[in-house]
Amino acid sequence: MITIKGLRDGLLVIFDQQPWLTQVRELESKLEANAHFFKGGRIAMDVRSLALSRDEIKRVDALLTQHEVSLWAILSQDESTRHTIKAFGFATSLAEQSQPVAEPSGAESEQNAAENTVTEGTDGLLARKRVRSGQILRHPGHIVVIGDVNPGAQLIAGGDIIVWGKLHGVAHAGALGDNSAVICALELMPSLLKIADATRTSSPLSQKRGRIKQPETAMLELQEIKITSWREK
Amino acid sequence: MQSVVITVTSGKGGVGKTTCSANVGCALALLQKKVIVMDGDIGLRNLDIVMGLENRIVYDAVDVIEGRCRLRQALIRDKRAPELYLLPTAQTRDKSAINPQQMVQLCDELRKDFDFILIDSPAGIEQGFHTCLAPANRVLIVTNPEVSSVRDADRVIGLVESQEKGPAHLVINRLVMSRVKRQEMLSVDDIIEVLSTEVIGIVPEDENILMSTNRGTPVALNGRSPAALAFHDIARRLTGEDVPLNTQQPTSFLQRLFGRG
Repeated sequence: MITIKGLRDGLLVIFDQQPWLTQVRELESKLEANAHFFKGGRIAMDVRSLALSRDEIKRVDALLTQHEVSLWAILSQDESTRHTIKAFGFATSLAEQSQPVAEPSGAESEQNAAENTVTEGTDGLLARKRVRSGQILRHPGHIVVIGDVNPGAQLIAGGDIIVWGKLHGVAHAGALGDNSAVICALELMPSLLKIADATRTSSPLSQKRGRIKQPETAMLELQEIKITSWREK
Repeated sequence: MQSVVITVTSGKGGVGKTTCSANVGCALALLQKKVIVMDGDIGLRNLDIVMGLENRIVYDAVDVIEGRCRLRQALIRDKRAPELYLLPTAQTRDKSAINPQQMVQLCDELRKDFDFILIDSPAGIEQGFHTCLAPANRVLIVTNPEVSSVRDADRVIGLVESQEKGPAHLVINRLVMSRVKRQEMLSVDDIIEVLSTEVIGIVPEDENILMSTNRGTPVALNGRSPAALAFHDIARRLTGEDVPLNTQQPTSFLQRLFGRG
């Protein structure tokens, strides 16, 4: 079983003791099933004590490249594997990179009940900053931004997205397939909203003109993204 | 005082980086500072033209880096101000001719002799920009009061912050008050709301700029035109003087567009 965690700048894929090929196939099916979550991202792999050959590393790198994911580090407890990794020019520790900020995002629930649920153990990414144009926050759990998300910025979360501020730009919640994910913001005026596989474009000019600024929530209803005012609840 | 490397950049092209570099450089020099303005746009040099020093170029920054001349030989003295120099760049090379470490070394050499080192960065977020950003102590982001230039400025500010070169300061260039009042142009407040970055100067649209650029006489050297005054204010703020911003702002364009019921 592979586990995916979030780093401040990218993702960490952790492998266990199962045969390498089995796990690589699992990674491949995850990459294929959630292409929009992984695409353009950076990945580090923790292969624990698995011993990998040159060919195995080359193949997994090619697999990631094929899915437009860049591999930058491989963590290994095996001495000779570490040598091979270095020879490829990958990092062998997360070093200056941040520590994992997330535990695995729990089982992806298929239930369609955003209300009246308390979820425990699903971690997320908390950003206390303005997210600027061209910046991407990507996390398998939830993403919380305290600050504005500027036009041209992207948030991609496996879980929910909460913005305590203005949400411009692109927001994709439930990017690993969770249909119950929600997106909420004090001012919801994104250029593009996605929840799981559903997409909703919106022109802030036509939509927001004449509307009072108020907190809003977007969620999936019958495969369509519906936006409701916070007060209507 | 300790010398300061200031990189002037923007993201979008044509917003007035070179005009700003030349004029702020002149204004600082007229404040009795030792100033060098450096063209960081390798292959597309034009700071020398705006400064009117094109005909005096013998050597350039790439010659210095590659050891064909000493640094002193490449510096062009501008006699119109007490201590103002230009370090031109090569016209026949590309951005890879100078790497970030070489730029840092070059600036460290210049720090010995100058109070202010202004680098006129190329537009964009590619290698040339990163090279010019590497030695910076302060970064001036030039933007025009229009949406696309503000968007690109936002992108650049994000990169400057991630390289820990910030805080970036904003120069809002070519503002036309009457058009802001008629709500045809973004106001200073609209821009600050998106970029949340400290504004170090507001330069009004000024028809004298075009002529001064063509003639190679920066307005800050002798003019009392509106833009010249704004560039002098920026220079004084850079020396640490507290000069209030002229921010008489009518109601915001975006507020009117999005906000009202």
